[in-house]
Amino acid sequence: MSVEEQIKEIVANIVHVDKSVLTREGTFKDIKADSLDIVQALVAIEDKFDIEVPDEDAQKFQNFGDFIDYVEKRVAEKEKS
Amino acid sequence: MSVEGKLALVTGSGRGIGRAIALKLASQGVDIIVNFFRRREAAEQTAKDVEALGVKAEIIRANVGDPVKLDEMFDTIAANFGRLDILINNAASGVGRSILDIDIKAWDWTMNINAKAPLLCAQRAAKLMERGGKIVNISSLGSSFVWPTYAVVGVSKAALEALTRYLAIELAPKGICVNGVAASAVDTEALKFYIKQGLVKDTRQATPAGRMVTPEDVANVVAFLCSEEAFMIRGQTVIVDGGTSVAPFIIS
Repeated sequence: MSVEEQIKEIVANIVHVDKSVLTREGTFKDIKADSLDIVQALVAIEDKFDIEVPDEDAQKFQNFGDFIDYVEKRVAEKEKS
Repeated sequence: MSVEGKLALVTGSGRGIGRAIALKLASQGVDIIVNFFRRREAAEQTAKDVEALGVKAEIIRANVGDPVKLDEMFDTIAANFGRLDILINNAASGVGRSILDIDIKAWDWTMNINAKAPLLCAQRAAKLMERGGKIVNISSLGSSFVWPTYAVVGVSKAALEALTRYLAIELAPKGICVNGVAASAVDTEALKFYIKQGLVKDTRQATPAGRMVTPEDVANVVAFLCSEEAFMIRGQTVIVDGGTSVAPFIIS
């Protein structure tokens, strides 16, 4: 499963929505996720990919696409090292 | 007996009260395990400042609200040190909501970090305290008094204070002293946020002691409870509030 698919699965499970509603242009607000959902999703994704997403970086994401790109980049960096 | 040469785990010690406790204990010669969850840079700064005081620091990242991560943290401590002398259950979180808006998720999140984690940490720590030890739980006056949107945190802190009493008695035969410290609103970034939001009155000038409680005030009491001079204090939660709670009508 691709990083994107894995992220969608994690978010869908935490926010209790169908994976299909998670688009690259969509936001946590669109799927009515509250601040706790966001923290939990962030932590679950950090654990899944063994990366850390500092709050400063997380605040810059405009939508899921930004988030997915960021995680993919971090995972690739990690694999390289 | 001095605390010099002891080893302490301070959960949530990257910032605020946890950081102040880490530095206070370090200043007395205690090696510090700095636990953090979200802010690695802050934890690294605490560790650096601890080391500058001439003792050792080790950083362990773990969300104590997750029992698996908590276990991993203690596995690391057991493997690297084989012992623990002092546990400070400081890490806390919470969801600021009025009572009718607290859902199961918010309740579980808060209770897991503020009440369940201190129990699990104490259980694991006790096994590493074969020569006795000290456990201090950091509570808040929100356990006994009502603050806006603080309900679930206040309840979790009340649970923590009850836990403090049970731990104190049940761990006493193992030579482990357990106590708590409850502070009123401490002069931190978090408090400034609450005042700005209009949720808490700016009482900084109205505290009977003449100023706000600082993280260092809390750390001083924690350090005392970790000393042998506090040997006969068991299961107590010491209030550090500059007199606010015994003179509530001064604050208006």
